[in-house]
This record gives sequence, C-alpha cells and structure tokens, in this order.
Amino acid sequence: MIEAFRDSLDRIRILITPTQYFAWQTLLLLSIFSWLMAILAEVLDAATLTVNILSTCSWISLTAAIWWALWRNPVRVAGFSISAWITGAVLCLFLFNPWPPERLRWALAAWPLISTAIRALPSFFRWDLEFKRPKPEVQQELVLILLLNLLLTSWILFYFQVQSWFGRYPSLLVNDFDRSAFVYDFSSDFERIPQGVLLLESAADALEQQLNGIPWPRTERWLLNSEAQVADIAREIPRAALYAPEESLFWKLGAPPPIGAAGGYRLNFRAYWRGPVARENGYYLEKSCQLTPQRRTRPAPPSRPSPSGRSPAVPPVEYETTIVQCDTAVPEPQWIDASAVD
Amino acid sequence: MGELEPIFPLKAIVFQGLFLLVAIALEAGLLRQRLYLGFKDSVQYATVINLAATVVGWFAFLLLEPLAPPALEAQIISYVLFDRLTFNSWTTRVGAIVLISGLTAFFVTLLIKLKGLELMMRTAGTWTIPNQPERLSRIQRYARARSGNTDQQQAMGRFSNAVLQANALSFSALLLLLLLRTFAREWS
Repeated sequence: MIEAFRDSLDRIRILITPTQYFAWQTLLLLSIFSWLMAILAEVLDAATLTVNILSTCSWISLTAAIWWALWRNPVRVAGFSISAWITGAVLCLFLFNPWPPERLRWALAAWPLISTAIRALPSFFRWDLEFKRPKPEVQQELVLILLLNLLLTSWILFYFQVQSWFGRYPSLLVNDFDRSAFVYDFSSDFERIPQGVLLLESAADALEQQLNGIPWPRTERWLLNSEAQVADIAREIPRAALYAPEESLFWKLGAPPPIGAAGGYRLNFRAYWRGPVARENGYYLEKSCQLTPQRRTRPAPPSRPSPSGRSPAVPPVEYETTIVQCDTAVPEPQWIDASAVD
Repeated sequence: MGELEPIFPLKAIVFQGLFLLVAIALEAGLLRQRLYLGFKDSVQYATVINLAATVVGWFAFLLLEPLAPPALEAQIISYVLFDRLTFNSWTTRVGAIVLISGLTAFFVTLLIKLKGLELMMRTAGTWTIPNQPERLSRIQRYARARSGNTDQQQAMGRFSNAVLQANALSFSALLLLLLLRTFAREWS
C-alpha cells in the first residue's frame, strides 16, 4: 500500500520536475507557488488587492501550464484533439471566478467559443507572433469547428432558457415530460407541489377572516352570493402570495356553489391551471372549507329592577355564529377527464 | 433563476443530430451532382451550410422567444415541453404563426446557404463563376442581346437552382420525418 503510494508520488514528482527551465512544469510550479503565496497573504491578513493579484497570477500560470502541457501531449478523442476544450474550461473557471448561478449560464455558454478561439489562435500567427492568413484547408476546418461550437453554445443556452421557464412558471414541473420531443426529465420520482396550493391557502385565509365569528344569517347571505364573493376573494389575493408571481396569469380561482353538509355548508375552492399542460384538459386543485353555525348564549342585558325590588328572570339571548374550518391537507392535482368537461 | 432542475434537452440534441445527418447527406448528393464537386468537398460544404443555417435558427429562437407575448410563449412552452400546440381558441392563429415562421425559415435558410456556399467555394478556390464584368465589350453586348443573358448569369442561375433544389429537398425530408413522428405517436 505504502509502496504503491510512494511509487505514484515518485511518478508525479518526475512528471512535474522540469527537465529544462523553459517547460510547462516551470509554469505549473510557478502557479502552485503563487497560490501558496496567496494563501499565506490571506492568512497574514494582507490587503485584498495583494491576495487578488497573487491568485490571478496563479490562475494565469495554471491556464498557460495546462495549455502548454496539452499542446505537448494532446488528449485525443476519436483522433480529434480536445486539448483546447480542456484549456478553455480552465480559462472559463478563471474568467468567471466566483460562480453564482447567473454567471454559470454565461460561463458555460462561453466555454465552447473560448475553446474555439484557443484552438484557432495558433493558426493565425507565425512563430514570431506575426499575423498570417491560414491556408484555405485550415480556414475551412476552423469554420467547421466554429459552427459546431456555436451549435453547442445554443444547446447550452436552450437548456438555460428552459430552466428560466421553470423558474418563472414552477407549476410546469407537476407534469410529466414523456411526450416532449426536446427535453428529458431525470427526476421523475420526486414530488413537486404546484403553486396553486399557495393560492388556495390565501383564499382560505381570506374566507376565515371574512366569515369566522360572524352571525350565521350574514354567512348565509354571503353564501347565497358566493360566486361574486369568491371572485372578490380571487381578485384581492396579492401577487406576492406566489413565490413566482408571473405565473398568476395561468391560475383561475373559483368555487362551485356551496353544498349543504354536516348542519352547515361546504365550500370547495378550486384553482384551475390554465397554462401549458401535458394532458388534454389540464387539472385543478381543491381545498374545501366547512362552514358551521355555533350556538352561543349571551347573558341578557340587565333590566331595570322592578318596583318590587326583584329583577325578573330574563332568559339569556341565544344566537348563532359561524365557524370556518378548512382542510389542512395539501391538495393533490385533479386531472380533468375529457368526457367530464362541460 | 432559482435552482436548476435535472431536465436536459437531450432529445432535442438527438433529433438535431439526426436531422442534420439526413439534410447533409441529401444536400451533399445533390450538390455533387449539380455543381460537379468532389465527394469530400460536397460533404464538407453541405455540412458547413447546414450548420450555419441551424446556428442562425437557434440564435433567432433564443433572441426572439423572450420577446413573445405571454399567450404565444405559453404555446411555445406547450410545444417544447409537452409536444402540444393547441389549446383554448388559439388554433387558427397558431396555424398562421407556424406557417409564416416555416416560410421565413425556408427563405432565410436558402439565403444563408447561397451566400455561405459561395463564400466557402471562393475561399477554397473552387468557385468558377466569373464576376460580372463592369464594362462589356461590343461583342459581349451583342451576345447578350441575342441570347438574353450572359454566361455569368447562366452559371449563377445554375448555381442558385442547385442550392434551391438542395434546400427544398432537405426541408421536405425533414417535414416528412416530423410527420412520420407525429403519426407514429398517434398510432402507438
């Protein structure tokens, strides 16, 4: 074990020890040295500028070392040298250095183009760095490589375009993508929740705020006019209720007329998805709210004592208030059957 | 942009590769016949002009798609993700849009292929059609008056005709493939 380890360590040492001063190993060692210095400067609390300059030097010499090394020992796939694409990847890592998600898009999209530039550059210069026009055959080959890489770039950008659709309309992810001629879904087995759930929750909240504790006759009057009232609730749901508010144009909130149930009424909120879907008629989500009257008593207001000195036994006032109870379960998408459409 | 979903346009890449191979094979054969090119040259030219047209098409899509109004964008999303074009009352308008974009694609592709092929042949030195001379000699003018057009125009006409036929051939083949795919889907 230790023997094998020492053996491979020796091999690496031989590989990176420069045989002459003018070699790629020199650049690699320079890069490592510069990187160590950067770490040292970081530890010693040096100015940010110092650390940046040192790490930039390290990146640049690393890129140059890799380019040089791969130029000496090209990596070939099916007889075609892909060295430029490896160097391009390292250069992209350096150029787009902190890698937040927004930059990842451009870093990945630029990678084929930067690699093409690295691949093409030597054909445009003579050994003494004077500009030259490449030979016609080389020109045609370069055009072909450039076009292939532009195609790669467009595929990468297309991937990010699709991702931006999912960012803006996350409920698209509820569907299966088996029918698509463009994308393949590698994540078929985990659950995604459409945003309509949030819409239903804020509708249920609004209903509770409006009706909870209100005298029952007023609730009954509200229910008589439920269609308009639900439309009001739908209109007043703030756009901020959804974490991707652009999607709200694909949702339509409604409720069929309330049904009598359990001594009260049952109101079913439905959020219909009106956007792109995999199946014929789309789906809806349902959250039902139970409205029940609750009998309450209130002590009668104290009446004036009668002249006899005894107050009469006044029965307490009875009245009914409303209790709103909404389901807490997360609604599942209900796919609308083609035959059941009115 | 939120987190990235593991949904990749792999099918698009496979279909693109297949379509490019079909188009290149057909066009290379036709160009070789009509323009008297060699095997290698014709395949190389067909590859370059088809790749150029594809790339221009992709960039046009990527630039124009974010500008589409929401209703049209919903159609595009529906087609790309679910392979469905029609819902609600959009059917006729979608038909018109598909027709117009298809025609535009055909003519833009034709233009790219004409100019691209000319450029490729000029750099390779296989371009044999002479430039239109600035001033015609007396005899040439008589010749043009008799025959109606010059040699240059005839050669150019042959060239354009070949490219037009190649383009029409590859478009028809791809349309046929798309139709076959639709039918296969319906029957399965």
